[in-house]
Order: sequence, then C-alpha cells, then structure tokens
Amino acid sequence: MTGFLVKRLLQALVVLFLVTIIVFLLLHALPGGPARAILGPKGTPQQIAHFNEVQGYNNPLPVQYWDYLVRLFHGNLGESYKLNESVSSLLGQRLPKTLILTVLATIVAVAVAVPLGLLQAVRRGKPADYLLTAGAFLAYATPVFFLGLILIIVFSQAIPIFPAEAPQGTSIGSIFSGFSGMILPIATMALGIIAMFSRYMRSATLDNLTEEYVRTAMAKGQSSRRILAKHVLRNALIPLVTLLGLYLPTLFSGALVVESMFNYPGMGLLFWNAAQGSDFPVLLGVTLVVGVATVVGSLVTDIVYAVLDPRIRSVS
Amino acid sequence: MSEPLLSVDDLHVEIASRDRTVHALDGVNFDLAPGEALGVVGESGSGKTMTALSLLGLLPSGGSVTRGSVRFDGDDLIAGGDRKLRDVRGNTMGVVFQDPLTSLNPTMTIGAQVAEPLLLHHDIGKKEAWARAQDMLGLVGMPQPAERMKNYPHQLSGGMRQRVAIAMALVCEPKLLIADEPTTALDVTTQHQILELIDDLRSRLGMAMILVTHDLGVIANRVDRVAVMYAGKIAETAGVRSLFRAPRHRYTEALFAALPEKAVIGATELRTIPGLPPNLAVEQHGCRFAARCAYATDVCRTEEPALTGDDHAFACFHPVPLDAADPLDDVAPGGQRHTPAVTSGAPLLEITDLRKDFPLRGGPFARGRGTVSAVGGVTLTVRKGETFGVVGESGCGKTTIGRMVAGLEDPTSGSITFEGRDLATMTRAERRRHRKSIQLMFQDSTAAMDPRMRVGTILREPLVIQGAGDRAEQDKIVAELLDAVGLPRGAVDRYPHEFSGGQRQRLGLARALTLSPELIVADEPVSALDVSVQAQILNLMRELQRDRELTYLFISHDLAVIRYLADTVGVMYLGKLVECGPADQVYARPLHPYTRGLLDTVNVPDPEAAGDGGTPLGGETPSAANPPSGCRFRTRCPIAQDICAKVEPAVTTPAGEGHQVACHFPLAGGALQDAA
Repeated sequence: MTGFLVKRLLQALVVLFLVTIIVFLLLHALPGGPARAILGPKGTPQQIAHFNEVQGYNNPLPVQYWDYLVRLFHGNLGESYKLNESVSSLLGQRLPKTLILTVLATIVAVAVAVPLGLLQAVRRGKPADYLLTAGAFLAYATPVFFLGLILIIVFSQAIPIFPAEAPQGTSIGSIFSGFSGMILPIATMALGIIAMFSRYMRSATLDNLTEEYVRTAMAKGQSSRRILAKHVLRNALIPLVTLLGLYLPTLFSGALVVESMFNYPGMGLLFWNAAQGSDFPVLLGVTLVVGVATVVGSLVTDIVYAVLDPRIRSVS
Repeated sequence: MSEPLLSVDDLHVEIASRDRTVHALDGVNFDLAPGEALGVVGESGSGKTMTALSLLGLLPSGGSVTRGSVRFDGDDLIAGGDRKLRDVRGNTMGVVFQDPLTSLNPTMTIGAQVAEPLLLHHDIGKKEAWARAQDMLGLVGMPQPAERMKNYPHQLSGGMRQRVAIAMALVCEPKLLIADEPTTALDVTTQHQILELIDDLRSRLGMAMILVTHDLGVIANRVDRVAVMYAGKIAETAGVRSLFRAPRHRYTEALFAALPEKAVIGATELRTIPGLPPNLAVEQHGCRFAARCAYATDVCRTEEPALTGDDHAFACFHPVPLDAADPLDDVAPGGQRHTPAVTSGAPLLEITDLRKDFPLRGGPFARGRGTVSAVGGVTLTVRKGETFGVVGESGCGKTTIGRMVAGLEDPTSGSITFEGRDLATMTRAERRRHRKSIQLMFQDSTAAMDPRMRVGTILREPLVIQGAGDRAEQDKIVAELLDAVGLPRGAVDRYPHEFSGGQRQRLGLARALTLSPELIVADEPVSALDVSVQAQILNLMRELQRDRELTYLFISHDLAVIRYLADTVGVMYLGKLVECGPADQVYARPLHPYTRGLLDTVNVPDPEAAGDGGTPLGGETPSAANPPSGCRFRTRCPIAQDICAKVEPAVTTPAGEGHQVACHFPLAGGALQDAA
C-alpha cells in the first residue's frame, strides 16, 4: 500500500509539472503576446519593447519558464489587469468559498445517493424504485438555474426558512456563522449530483447482487441486510468512486451558475468575470487551480480505489 | 435404516421468467442417511443443481418450490421459512460452489470470509472465530494459514481458492456438505487434490455429502449412492457399484456409452444420444427420455414410468435386462478403426523452437517487469490427414500455440512452416490468402459468433472476405455445409442464440470448413458440451476428417477426448512439450513422469478401478513468469534429481523413433515405481 501511494504521488507530481508547462505556453500564446494584452491596442511599440524588457519577455523561453516556476513557488501568479489586485490574493479569497460549496455539496450528494441507490436496487421493480427513478430523471433533466429558482421560490419565498442569498463575508468563519444561507446553494448543487450518482449506485448494486459471492454469503446464513452492508456495499462503491474522480473537476469549475444565482463570489464568478474582461492572468491562474484540482481529484480517486479494492493495490 | 438426515419428498420447483415458466424439478424424492454420500449426476438442465440449491432455499430469482417437502435434521426447511433456512445455512448444511474465482468476495480478506459463518452461528468472539478459521484453513491443506488469513482471494490460485471455499463451508462442522460441481472449473491435478481433500474431511468430520456433477468419473470413487437425473426427475438411483456395473434405465445406459473413455483408443464411433433434452417450459407427457430412446414404445410416450425398486430403483418401462453384457463392452474395441491411425505421411505443419513471451503489464513508468513465457521453445510436426492432440493443464501454452498457428498471435521467435512455407517470410497479402488454409474452431461458440448476424451471413462471411464466387455460389456452399454438419438448411435465417450448445458447435465447425481449409485448429471444441452432445460432435469431426481429408490440431485438457480422437499426442507442461508420440504408445507407456502423473490423476468413470491409482500429481503449476530452472516440471516431479535443476533435458527417443520425450530419466516400463 505504501509503495502504491509513493508511486502514485510521484506520478501526480509529473502530471502537475506538465500542467505548469501547458499554462506557461498558454500565457505566451496570448494574442499579440502578454505586452499587447496588457498595454492594449493603444500601446506604442516603444512601450511594448520596454514592457518586454522589464518583464523579462526577451529572455529565452526556458529561462522565462524557470522564472515563471520560481514565481509560482512564491505564490506569485501575476496581477489582474482589471481588478488591481494580485491573482494569488484573488484566488485566496475565492478558492476557499468554492471549495466549501463543492465539497459540502458532494458529501451531501454521496451521503444521500448511496443509500438511495441501494434502496432502489433492493426494491427493484417495486413502486419505490419507479418513484425514485422518476425523481432522479426529473432532477437530472432540470437545468441547475431552474432548480435553484424553484428552491428559492419554495424555501425562501413561500416558506421563508432559508435566505435566498449566500453569506457575503470574505472569511471562512463568516460563511459558517451564516450557514443557513449555504443550505439552498448546497441543495441546488447536490440535487443534480444525487440524481446521477444514485443511478450509478443502483446499477452497480444490481450487478453485484447477481454475483456468486452474494450467493456464497447467503449460503453461510447471512441475512440480506447484512449481506448488503458487509459484502455488496464496498464492491458497489468502486464504480462510483471512478465517477466521482471524473466529476470533481467539473464540479469545481462548474459551480458558476450556483455561485452567480446565490451571489456567492467563488471561483466560478471570478472566472466568468475574467473571461468577460480578457483578464488573462486571472484566467490562467484559475486554469492552473482547476488543473491542480483535476490531478488531486484523480489522485484521491486512486487512493480511495485502492482502499476499497485490494486487487488494485497489488497490481500497481 | 436409521432415521434419515435429509428427506426430500415430491419436490417441485418452478422458475418463472417474464415469458415462460420452467418446471425445473418435477417430483424429486430421495433420503440421505447421516454420513452417507450421494452423487447426483445429469447433463445441463437435468435439475441436479436446482435440487441442491432448493435444499438451501438458494434458488435463482424467479425460482420457487411449488410442492413437496425437505426435512433436514428434524426440521421442515420449506415450511420453516427464511429464518429456519438462515439458521441451517453455513451451520449444519455447508455448500461449495463450482467457480472458486467468483464465489469469494474480492474485497474481503480470506480470514474474514472463513470466520463469517462462525460469528453468525456460534456465540463466540472475533478472536476465537479467527483462531478457529485459521485452524480450518490448515485442515483444508492451505500452506501458511496464518499468512493466508490476511490475503485477498485474487492472491490465491484457483485450487487454493476452492480450498478456502471448502473451509468456509466446513468451519461450523456441518452435518451435510453440498458440493455443486466443486471441481469442474479446476485442472485435472487440482481436481484430484480437491476431491481427495473432500473425501478425507468427510470421513474425519463424519458428515453426509451430496456431490452434484456432470462428470461420471468424479463420482465413481467418491460416493456411496448415485442418483441420475434427467429433465427434472430422478431416472435411476442405486449404489454406485451396482449402477456402474448394471445401469437399468436406458438413459443411464446411453450416457455411459457416450463416454469417450469407453470407446478405447478410438476403435469405433462413439454412441450418441440423438436429439436434445425436452423443453421443460411445456407440459411433459410420458417418459421424458422417450423421444431420444431407441427402445421407446407407445406406452413410453403416453404413460409416465414410476421410480420403482428398493436398492436399485429406476423409472423405465423397458429397462436394460439384468443379464445383459456389460453395456460398455459392446462399444469397446473389436471392430476396425474407421480411419487407420496416421503415423506416416507428408508433414503439413512444422513448428520449430517456437516461443512466445507476453510482457507483464505495467504502467508507462513501470519497465523491466519481465515476461511470461507462455510457450518456451516447442518443436513438433503435424502430418497431413492426422489429428494431432495437444493436451495439458491451463496455462501450459496449448492455446497460445493454436493462436500462433492460426496467425492470431505473432511468435516471439521460432518458425511455423505450413506446406513447406515459413509463415514469417510471407508478405501481408500472401498471409491473408494463406489464412483460408488454416481455420479455427473455438470452445465458446456463443462468444465466437456475432449475436446480431444471421447464421447464413456468418457462414458466408469467410467466402465474401476471400472473394470466393458470387452470391448464388456462396449460398450453395453454405447449404452444403449445413448438410455436412447435420443442420437443416433453414438455419441460415436464424440467429446463433436460437441454437443449442451442440448445434452452435456444429455451426462453428461449418464456419471453419467454409473455405475448405487444410488444417483446423480446434481449441477445446467440446469442453463446454454435455457428454451425449460431445459424442455427436466428436463423431462428426471424425466423419468430416475422413470425407474431406482434414488435418486437426486438437487442443484439449481432456485426456479421454484426446485419446479418442488423436493419432499423435503432444503433452505440454508450462510452455514446454514434454512428450510427443503416437497416441496408443503415449497412453499405454508414457515416458515422461508428468504424462504418467496426469494419467494416474484422471478420474476414471469406473468404481471398480479404484485402488490402483498409481501416483497422482501433487502440488501446483509454478508461475510461467518465473519458470523453474532446468526441467520445468522438476518442482513436482517424484523422481527429480540434482541434474534436473541444472540442465534442461534434451529431446530423446528411448522407446523408439517417433516417441519423443524431454526428460533426464524417462520411465522405462511406463510406471513411476520402475524408474525410482
């Protein structure tokens, strides 16, 4: 297991290194180069030459990349063109918010979807299964903004139990102190994921229930409930973990709709605004973060995978 | 007789699916005394497994007991409901299933799985349960049980996993062990070890046993009594010796006659049972075997025979007369072979020092993990018109050789020469044309045919690919092929799944014949078939060989089938050809200790033959990723010496030209004792 972890971590580092190269190259692929992008169409050739000299853009590419890496390690991702703030401080404010939202939504989704999927599999072809299947398809087919609107109308307007706006404070503490404001954003985000995950959980459980090891467990005299908990659950979770790993980066960058809907200034909003205003350093900063999230996501997936499935451990 | 341990009375089981209801069991009766061993034999669909599963209430979904009772150890298991059943399962009644690869939970440790029944049925702590589970693992012959407790199933070999499954079934010391085809998925040598183990544990723990199997050889020496099942009913039941000596039911008689073991050295055609078992989804009238029985009269078709008789009971209106000669004798040799054994003739296929290494899998950052030596230097010659049988256990490389000959796999080194031309030196286009001379026949005919193609299209495809003739001509060839393999011409409009296993194997043969090949590589073509159907296919293959002058490279793990069909036999072990020669000689006077061991290990379907078992093989086949130095067989060889570890034995012919062996100490008289 330790060997597997070390090996997997090293692989993740290599991939991260590749991510920085790609982001660095993207920086240089900016239309007209970074100087033109920053100084705008009105920048004179002299200004551009001066800018390139000062910023080190005249150096050979490997040297520039090395400087970029050094800056990266010091947390320097450049300055936003528009917000007059460093990219790292912008990310520092926004990243925790998105993290809190997506991680909580995912935890809620998994906590709900796994038992739902199990229940549907056990009750296959019975009313509960059909009802939940219909519900899942409905939630899956509904656009997130519409789902959020309904939740706001019902739980904030008709029955005013939750605020329609997420907590506005910039510190993490303020988010948790105004946590009731987080309920609706989390619910909005989680519903779609629950719909998807519960379907996967249902089919994975059904697949496992027909496996012969289940019959063996029955032949030992184990009860159906404990067979589900002791034998089937762990095996059925394996495909779900794959899905989760693939889905996590999407969640991360896709929180945009929920963030703008509940006025929750996270990564999604930052990215959206930066894209609108051609704020390239911010865009690249976000890209880097999402890249890192993807690598970390798949690393976590593989580790959970190995924890669940002993066969993975020994093959790798 | 004392109070029976198990009493099954008028058991009816139905399996309902969406569109039909199969009457899987129709009035099954039998008793089992404490400590008694009953063998339940039958072909697929006979209800033998359903009988075993219904005792435990483990019928597949849609299955239910519609009538009858199962009394076990004083309790009515049918009336007792789920609670009673759960109490019995794993506790007083243990089960071992067929496939040890799938019947263990892949994500639970061996220890947890073996201890599970103890924790369920006995009021003991986890620590004690683990200690007892470990003892049990030791008892089933698991080396280093303490280590193995922490392992997962995938870390063990198939035979070891079956030992785990047995430990699980026996850990609560049940009164009855149900073994459902416990060795069918295992190799011959492993099979023998597992059966010996069950035998030994049974006498040690004093349990009763129900051994369910399709293999008459497995039960011959292992049970007290046998019940032969056919189409959901017990056709005949008797003491094992009495049944094997004098079967009374015509089905049992026919079943014995279809065994390739009985048609010694391929003297005559095998006796087959025509037709197929009845469809149990429709109501049955009269004797269920009547439609396939040579002795059936009107009464058989209208009235159902009852199972009568005390010690030897059978349900047949026209039983085999008691004074009849041994039913097996009239199929034994005597007549001439249909085809004389081919021992001379022009070489068609020559394989020289053929090797195939498969790299061990690893990621992009993993290198130098080594290779698996699947075929480690094999040299053999197949003469035109003969059947060359390649026999060996799983992983010995026999299938890889077949795939290389058919061009599906490229050799790592060595050469394959066909009709005097080296395959490696051919251009792509030449190879393509050449492919039609060598055709393949697969084991799993279901998987080998596109399920969405009609049979006509499947059979015509090779002709289309090779651009042979126009549509009308192709249709004519297909029709003739169907005639040749004994299928109706109307089959062209049907899909593969509409055929039975035996019929599909006929289709497989027809497809292989489409391009009139010289050589057919048949990879375990009858392994998935029932005995009676297997006999039909083997006869058909012989007949076609005679009519079309075919050459077969016949690959099988089944010594009896090879013996029946092959002129020349090659015995493989761990990628090496250890012995090769005329079939009669190899079987009668084997030179290699492995061949001898295999022959001693195989289960002969004759209870009288017990005792002179020779020296069955022990141990397990080592990994081909790290084969033993010198002679690859030395780790399991009873007569191995120091030299065997150092020097790889060269091929010699101590018993005369044509009978080759690769051994430092070839057996003189064919027996291990003589050599030692």
